[in-house]
Amino acid sequence: MGNVPRTPAGKETPTDASGPANPAPPGPPVPPAADAPGVEPDARFTFANERTFLAWIRTALALVAAGLAIVQLLPPFHGIRWGRHAIGIPLILLGAVIAVFSYIEWDANQRALRRGDPPRHSRLPRLLAVIVGLVALAAAVLALISG
Amino acid sequence: MSGAMSRAGQGGADDPGLARARTRLAWTRTALSFAAIGGVILRHDLAAGFVVLGLSALVWGVGRLAGVPGRAGDRRGRLLVIALAVTAVAAVALALALFGPQTAGLRL
Repeated sequence: MGNVPRTPAGKETPTDASGPANPAPPGPPVPPAADAPGVEPDARFTFANERTFLAWIRTALALVAAGLAIVQLLPPFHGIRWGRHAIGIPLILLGAVIAVFSYIEWDANQRALRRGDPPRHSRLPRLLAVIVGLVALAAAVLALISG
Repeated sequence: MSGAMSRAGQGGADDPGLARARTRLAWTRTALSFAAIGGVILRHDLAAGFVVLGLSALVWGVGRLAGVPGRAGDRRGRLLVIALAVTAVAAVALALALFGPQTAGLRL
């Protein structure tokens, strides 16, 4: 998204395009707002960035719910009192971390859009994959040990 | 596809690509997620559960503002509230996991 079309703040350019893949033709540049330097990007890019943030928020909520359900609803492992906590609590913590970092990434991407820069590379997918993979591995080991 | 259907799929001039409509639906899904986890917490702690259910109403209300033109700072503030709300829900869940009653789990 190196060349982000610009439209006046809050206005969307009438077009037949169906999304950010078919951006509208550039509109007149808008003076930078006092609270956000740069030029207001096409509203569709702003909405797409917001939907990405919301998708991460729902992922964070799902992790929190899964962690709580593991601690409260999973039958205890035989002989391992902390087994449920070892699986559930990392998921709850990961949910909190994802909530914070999704906001930071949304803000960074919004600033990049305003400057016309490409969006920054997200580290959240790798973080999510590594932590969930480790938790799954720990769950498998606990299930084997507890018999 | 007919011309009318094509125009409906593209959202018209006031909502090209239906970006605004899709974003409002995303907010609704997020509010439902809050309500679901609020229901889970309600089983263990009545007060905390109602607080989270209240947060789902807040998220739904914030989502109604999505697409309303405003300063960039307004949008930043709204999204920061949501991120902090999820962090608060995670803190409540962590407290319940660590200090809540130890259950025998579900027997299927």
